Amino acid sequence: MDMLHNLFLGMTVAFSLQNLLYAFIGCMVGTLIGVLPGIGPVATIAMLLPITFHLPPTAALIMLAGIYYGAAYGGSTTSILVNLPGESSSVVTCIDGYQMARKGRAGAALSISALGSFFAGTVGTLIIVMFAEPLTRMAQKFGPSDYCSLMALGLVAAVVLASGSVLKAIAMVFLGLLFGLVGTDVNTGAQRFTFDIPELSDGIDFAPIAMGLFGIAEIVVNLERKMSRSGAIKVDSLWPTREETRRAIPAVLRGTALGALLGVLPGGGPTLAAFSSYTLEKKISKTPSQFGKGAVEGVAAPESANNAAAQTSFIPMLTLGIPSNAVMALMVGAMIIQGIQPGPEVMTKKPDLFWGMIVSMWIGNLMLVIINLPLIGMWVKLLTVPYRFLAPAILLFCCIGAYSLQNSTFHVEQVAMFGVLGYIFSRLGCEGAPFLLGLVLGPQMEEYFRRAMLLSRGDPSVFVTRPISLGLLITTAALLILMALPSLRKAREEAFQEEET
Amino acid sequence: MNRFLSKDFLSGLMFIAFGLGALYFGRNLAPGTTVRMGPGYVPHMLSYIMCILGFIIAVIAVVRGSDPVETPRLKPIVMVTLGILVFSLLFERTGMFPALVALILIASAGGEEFKLLEVIGNIIVLTILCILVFKIGLSMNITVLNGVW
Repeated sequence: MDMLHNLFLGMTVAFSLQNLLYAFIGCMVGTLIGVLPGIGPVATIAMLLPITFHLPPTAALIMLAGIYYGAAYGGSTTSILVNLPGESSSVVTCIDGYQMARKGRAGAALSISALGSFFAGTVGTLIIVMFAEPLTRMAQKFGPSDYCSLMALGLVAAVVLASGSVLKAIAMVFLGLLFGLVGTDVNTGAQRFTFDIPELSDGIDFAPIAMGLFGIAEIVVNLERKMSRSGAIKVDSLWPTREETRRAIPAVLRGTALGALLGVLPGGGPTLAAFSSYTLEKKISKTPSQFGKGAVEGVAAPESANNAAAQTSFIPMLTLGIPSNAVMALMVGAMIIQGIQPGPEVMTKKPDLFWGMIVSMWIGNLMLVIINLPLIGMWVKLLTVPYRFLAPAILLFCCIGAYSLQNSTFHVEQVAMFGVLGYIFSRLGCEGAPFLLGLVLGPQMEEYFRRAMLLSRGDPSVFVTRPISLGLLITTAALLILMALPSLRKAREEAFQEEET
Repeated sequence: MNRFLSKDFLSGLMFIAFGLGALYFGRNLAPGTTVRMGPGYVPHMLSYIMCILGFIIAVIAVVRGSDPVETPRLKPIVMVTLGILVFSLLFERTGMFPALVALILIASAGGEEFKLLEVIGNIIVLTILCILVFKIGLSMNITVLNGVW
């Protein structure tokens, strides 16, 4: 009964005119950036963070969530029609989606991917509803040492599953933690790394860092490369044939299940889900030779998987306050800007926000089917907008947005500074996502660490004597040891190699 | 290619630099004891970890080698950064419009192609968009042109 009651509460919030409007704006913007290559959901959400500051919390989070899953939707359109993935999560869709389009089945591929995504999104939302309460109840039993260990596990897992060098990613996490320390120390009031700049005494604002590291650095890297565009394929009938439907349905089911599972894992999310489900389909298919030549399963499964994962990756963030990827770290940042501390308290103290956001995800998924299928022609036209128009527009939005945070040009200068830093990171092959996770979790982690040590009178064994904390630390250690095994390291490298080509 | 100009070696140096920098600027923060940690305890701990990790990364890079750093093309990053800084200088002194024009001109000059007509068109569209979104839509307190609007 409780679940129905909660859903009803969520519906009353999500169906208010204002929240419907922001869900719609989020889905539109998300689809737009999904279609446009060269700018991803992370950069867009970073860019729009300051704007959400001027909105009520529920509307802000609904809009940001809409951008996230809207981008996963929009990215598939360009993958299928022009063989250009708008998002990393739809890279695999290119392989078979574009081949289907060349065979004149573009419409069918688009509707299979849209309907599969809708189904997956619905299932993902239902999973959030079912697991949110038990997980939150579990999290409320956690003491400071348990929380500290949980965050360590979250950070390490995110690093292990991310691509690139593990050691560098770990160093980036620590660098993020270090940047998170800037500001006034909560316990003693001492100024740390503030360089006598009054604006820094409350800590470095999250939004300028995110905008600089992701928004600006992305623009610069794109400006260095020449972007080529190819002509789009015309879309005919949107209806898949009976044969295509028969093959798509089991693939959608498998993709949804795998995606939902991988979305919950720290470091998981849409991209990992899409790649894994494509590999799975190819392995179990009776006709693996058809993959790469326009196999329906190769579109249906990864598209469902990435959307299911986009939904379920909200679970650790909403219930435990632990972001599992860069987008979720930005959502945590958006909550903090609004004065909400993410964690198990969100559900008990702000049930309207919590359930409203979840119900709005389902509404958003429905909107996306409507936005995407009939308006496909309009989105394809947008593809012809050259990047040299987009780059200044993105820059401008970042600058005005950063200024509007506290009406101070200092924030704009911070954007410039972190833009340079982000550019250096990308040139050196250091990933921004682990940095962001460290930055978001840093202040909380220090707080829990100090509290745990105070409670145990300086005895660090508290981390291994409490069963929850011990279990989490053993899992963390196991992950690190697994990473060091040569065979696993090779498998991981191979998995990410496929992604790059 | 020089093995000291590799991505990993330079990353290692960068991490060490951040670690040493944090140690230097945090030298006045009291570490305290493990029971009552001072403001400096966690920063010092993190700084040491940064230095150690940076050192390991750099050593591995020298021993095993890693991808060389591509020579950066300085024009885009310099122009974009310059554009943002000029924007922040002008924004409060002259209002949004001049700052916007400067930013778009400088940033567009950082790209591959620069066609004046296109850039002017872009400025007009973006000015209208910014006024609609920020001034009217979100009713922010922004002056478009100082003393005028």
